[in-house]
Amino acid sequence: MIDQSAARALHPLEVKILLAFKVGDTIDSALVREKLGFREGQDQQAFSWLMAKGVLEEADRQTEVFYELTPLGQEWLEKGTPIRRIFSLMKEIGPMSLPDIAQALGFDQKTVGSAFGSLSKEGVCAMDEARRAILTKSALPQPLLDIEALLKAAAANAGSLPEKSLTQQQKALMAQIAKKRGAQDAPFRIAERAKVLFRLTSLAEDYRQAVTALGMTGEEFGAITPDMLEKGTWKLGTFRPYNVQIPPARVIPGRRNPYVEFLDSVKDKLVSLGFEEFDGNMVETEFWNSDALFMPQFHSARDIHDVYYIDEPTHAKFIEEPHLSRVAAAHENGGNTGSRGWQYQFDRDFTRRLILRSQGTVLSARQLPKAKVPGKYFGIVRCFRYDRVDATHLSDFYQTEGIVLGEDVNLRTLLGFLEMFAVEVAGAKEVKYVPGYFPFTEPSIEVHIKHPVLGWFELGGSGIFRPEVTRSLGIDVPVLAWGIGIDRMALMALGLNDLRELFSPDLESVRMRRSQYKIQ
Amino acid sequence: MPKIEVNEELFFRLAGKTWSDKEAFEQDLTVAKAELDEWDTSLPADSERTIKIELNDTNRPDLWSTAGLARQLRIYRTNNIPSYPFFASQKKKIAAPYRVVVERSVKEVRPWLAGFVAKGPAISDALLRDMIQTQEKLAWNFGRKRKGVSIGIYRISLIEWPVRYFGADPHKVSFVPLQETRRMTLSQILEEHPKGIEYASILKGKPIHPLLTDSKGRVLSYPPIINSADLGAVQVGDTEVFIEVTGSDYPSVALSSSIMACDLADMGFEIKNVQVDYEYDTLFGSSIVFPYYFQGEISVSIEEANKLLGSGLDVAQAIDALTRMGLCAYSEDGRTIRVAPPEYRNDFLHPVDIVEDIMIGHGLENFPPERPRDFTIGRLTPIERFSRKAKSIMVGLGYQEMIYNYLGSGKDYAEKMQIPASALVKIANPMTENYEYVRNSPLPGLLQTESVSSKASYPHRTFEVGKVALKDVDANYGIVTRQYIGFLTSHAQADYNEIASHVAALMYFLGKEYTVREASDPRFVPGRQVEVLAGGKRAGVFGEVHPAVLEAFGIMMPCAAGELDLDMLIEE
Repeated sequence: MIDQSAARALHPLEVKILLAFKVGDTIDSALVREKLGFREGQDQQAFSWLMAKGVLEEADRQTEVFYELTPLGQEWLEKGTPIRRIFSLMKEIGPMSLPDIAQALGFDQKTVGSAFGSLSKEGVCAMDEARRAILTKSALPQPLLDIEALLKAAAANAGSLPEKSLTQQQKALMAQIAKKRGAQDAPFRIAERAKVLFRLTSLAEDYRQAVTALGMTGEEFGAITPDMLEKGTWKLGTFRPYNVQIPPARVIPGRRNPYVEFLDSVKDKLVSLGFEEFDGNMVETEFWNSDALFMPQFHSARDIHDVYYIDEPTHAKFIEEPHLSRVAAAHENGGNTGSRGWQYQFDRDFTRRLILRSQGTVLSARQLPKAKVPGKYFGIVRCFRYDRVDATHLSDFYQTEGIVLGEDVNLRTLLGFLEMFAVEVAGAKEVKYVPGYFPFTEPSIEVHIKHPVLGWFELGGSGIFRPEVTRSLGIDVPVLAWGIGIDRMALMALGLNDLRELFSPDLESVRMRRSQYKIQ
Repeated sequence: MPKIEVNEELFFRLAGKTWSDKEAFEQDLTVAKAELDEWDTSLPADSERTIKIELNDTNRPDLWSTAGLARQLRIYRTNNIPSYPFFASQKKKIAAPYRVVVERSVKEVRPWLAGFVAKGPAISDALLRDMIQTQEKLAWNFGRKRKGVSIGIYRISLIEWPVRYFGADPHKVSFVPLQETRRMTLSQILEEHPKGIEYASILKGKPIHPLLTDSKGRVLSYPPIINSADLGAVQVGDTEVFIEVTGSDYPSVALSSSIMACDLADMGFEIKNVQVDYEYDTLFGSSIVFPYYFQGEISVSIEEANKLLGSGLDVAQAIDALTRMGLCAYSEDGRTIRVAPPEYRNDFLHPVDIVEDIMIGHGLENFPPERPRDFTIGRLTPIERFSRKAKSIMVGLGYQEMIYNYLGSGKDYAEKMQIPASALVKIANPMTENYEYVRNSPLPGLLQTESVSSKASYPHRTFEVGKVALKDVDANYGIVTRQYIGFLTSHAQADYNEIASHVAALMYFLGKEYTVREASDPRFVPGRQVEVLAGGKRAGVFGEVHPAVLEAFGIMMPCAAGELDLDMLIEE
């Protein structure tokens, strides 16, 4: 029994065959073309589909030989065979050397040589004492005329002559001038075509019943055309159902990059928490990158092997005042910050040294002099580190940093913020805080979260900016500073495990990459 | 950040507690801002088992040793502050049995010295390794690779007192250094000895080099480079050693000596004082007895502490918390808390440094998080919002967004792009030539994609919005950062007309008027490229990518591309 969906999936050409013939009938191309009006190609399509379903089986197969005109044969037909052209040329001009003939007709030596050979064999041509070819007869030999007749006959029969239509003499001639392979230098190619006779199997009856039960005729509409809509002819029939189980063709859409989208989602989340975005230069000074953050100029993290120095120019023209003087004083003796300072001679030349920003906190420092109170600011910015590039280190990467200014901010509100980030940004269920160390904050806190997949890991660092940092930049209220590492979350969100993959240039992998993070 | 390896048995003994649970141990380490790095508890629990620990606080060198870290954990648990009576101070004079004379000749090269003698049980192999580790961590991390601080340890039995510290001619003085059997001059050591080569830069160009000898002129060491092979070779089994610290910053030198003295005292050594007499004046006077307590008191008001912590602690609670951190704190007026830093700490620059110790001492878990109450309005930068608009238009035009690194090679950024490398911002100290330049355009990234993606089905349409660094002599830094959009289309029919249509659509929907002018950018085919002018200013370029560029990247498919300065367009 054939179910309805299998019957519906039949193509109209199949339906027509099923309805026109019965079990045991034998059919072939000629028959279906004649009886059902199939066009060339449609018959073979329908046969192959029905064979695949087991509705047709092969009843008989006969191979026929055809001689098909090659492009060379076509050329001979249009311009004349080389022999005829040489014959005509000599008839016109008289005796000529073989190279002259080749040149006059644009033939290669080999073509001329073999044509001359054929002509001398038939006694039509000879070589004189001056090694010139001369005509010895005024008519072309019969075999050549026979070849020309075959070319014409083939042209008249769509470029193809069935072997069975040839006389014995023609067959013998064809054997000399037709080739099965490498036929580009022969006028005819030998082609074999199978003529197959099919028989309808008992399955055909099952299908026919199903098709009849569904009222299918094979005349159902295919594509809906503008013409059908305009004329209303769609009302006159039914639509052929399509096989909806066939996998659709691939399309390549324009698309956002999933890593950038992830970063954007973090930005949007921070904006929703009341943070205003900041941005800045990739090239910075030692002043803003470290000095303004109260990292002493002799600090081990400020070694030549930790930051990238700019080759040219090497120094900024100036550092803005009053920031320079105040920061220098904070380093030397605390200045107006209530600190004893680092007790060393601040280097005002080194502070102008240009580097590639090594931490996003630069932007927090730069924001301080122009910040509103209360205020919340953040940035997700590219930073540069002197690191060997591998699966967990990049020479440039994103850092997420921010500050909160307010009369009432303190350690407990800092913890409150960290909890908010852990839950809102990282989707954490469990959070813990441990004392941390950063040169520019005191107290300093690290926040660790328990991620459903990654387990416990450090989400970020934070603290309250040291007064040496804030007072030097004109801020008298406490400032919370935080940074969260989102690379690990990004990798997990994108199903990757190598940071380099985030910046992959490989188009196919970027095209196929999907975000796996849940929208929270 | 320093990482130390401690002998488990020794550490547990000094800390007065034995841990078996890693999580509990990790939790206890947090009071010292320390993290467990490696503890292979599958190894037999014998006297050889070690624990690796990372220390995060670069201002607490006292924690970078077995005894120092153990001390912090012990005090936190027991509330018992150890006393170190062998410290001299400005108020407390002690007569020292040993003496070092510092001569004027060393003042310009490495002026400061501190030292003491430790007598105790025979030094075991584990203890010797621990002493060397402490010496190295102090000199490397705290002493900035021996520049600020270096430490020498000597067998006292061979020394004839007083010891002399003076400046010597590096070409004339010679001795047999550790790891050598022949006499070498100081300058020879700098050129040939592995330690000399490693630390030569500290003494580079100095006419006089520091030297430490005993009164008979036998060399103890050549600070900060290397000890001598006889007096300077401490061995397992030694019971009495002289420890000396030299350097360029006196508080750091004195503190390093104090840290080592406290550590050895904790391990059962008797500390004997050394008097250092200078031929010049110092921060602490011209004759100082070490170990020397030089730190001054610091104070914070309880209001200030509570404001920063968001807490309501009273003075007694705060003092209790500070005691757990090992700080002697007291209050005379019931408001102001005065703190005398322990002998081994000098990290109190500002009252907030005391506040943090109150926080840790009181326990971070006792400060409940609180939602901030201040209302602020969040917003993205205008350039971010403008960029997002551009991105959504590009996606609508069928382009795939890409993101690339900003550092690359001169080959990719300049040579292949047919532009001079001088147009790019170069790094003076690159780690490899693969990351030597900052990009000036998103196009090398997009072309890199083409060069590795010929198997991805065409057409390829890609774009990136990101930063570029451009040279600008008028700017304070001589370099400016701009937000660019780069875009590229690649397929058999990719041409000027296609990219021109896409630019037109992008600019229309960004709401920006523009005109074009013929350009001569070497990255594009002459006659098939234009500059984009917005408000009369050059805002970008687009056209058919020059086959020379394609060839350099190994690209076999025509490309049309362009870039626009979004920072400029947003202003117009």
